[in-house]
Amino acid sequence: MSEEEIRQEEAIIAKAKSNPAAFSTLYEKYFDRIFYYLYRQTDNEELAGDLCSQTFVNVLNNIKKYEFRGVPFSAWLYKIASNEVRKHYRKFKGKKVFSIEEVRIKELVEQSEETWSEDEINKLIDFMKDLPEEMLHVLELRFYEERDFKEIAYILDITESGAKMRTYRALDKLRKKFKIKIKYDG
Amino acid sequence: MGRNEIRLRRQRMTARGIERYRNYNSVLKRHEENRRIKKVIRVFGFFVVILVVIMIIIFLSRWEERAQEKKTTTTSVMVEKNHHPIL
Repeated sequence: MSEEEIRQEEAIIAKAKSNPAAFSTLYEKYFDRIFYYLYRQTDNEELAGDLCSQTFVNVLNNIKKYEFRGVPFSAWLYKIASNEVRKHYRKFKGKKVFSIEEVRIKELVEQSEETWSEDEINKLIDFMKDLPEEMLHVLELRFYEERDFKEIAYILDITESGAKMRTYRALDKLRKKFKIKIKYDG
Repeated sequence: MGRNEIRLRRQRMTARGIERYRNYNSVLKRHEENRRIKKVIRVFGFFVVILVVIMIIIFLSRWEERAQEKKTTTTSVMVEKNHHPIL
């Protein structure tokens, strides 16, 4: 995100602090991303829709408290959305769901020699089922949402080195188990 | 059984599917409702605080009055005791 874009967003936020209707531009800009993020963590369209609305209501309720902390505004949205999901799972005590598109798994894994078979995908999914939730969350933010480590740290309330460590540990496990190359692991 | 439930989706959700949930007016309306509720709660809280302060003041003044009454009674009893009428 460029400096100019950040400045433009900051101007909209400043306006929205006194006039919530001004926030509609940012709502339109980020709605899809936040919806997909919630949908991936619930696998339920209706629920993702409800949580998404609640996320934006919370954003408007707290916009006066928002201040720039070196991460893009979207990181704040992800943080609020993340809290909404956590609240939901705490309330209904269900098993955390991660819904992943098959295409995205194929995109994630760079196949150098062999073709990625159905069986291998299933093995990968079984492996992911056993990963600790926080590791899975970091991987999701890193590879599906394409957030950098600073943003991940802000969203999950952990340190930047903690976010890096969780990602590298998970990737290391994947490499050892599947002998595959993973994109974006820089 | 793993710790998480991973579900694989063959198809990506369409943009038209998401459109059903996009409604800034309803978000704005809920925000306004929340703001109104917050305001009412704040005003109510303010009155509760004032009420508590008034009750404390009443309680303290009554307590002081009683203490004063007790003191006066004790003094008059002592005066009576010390006073030896000439028989």
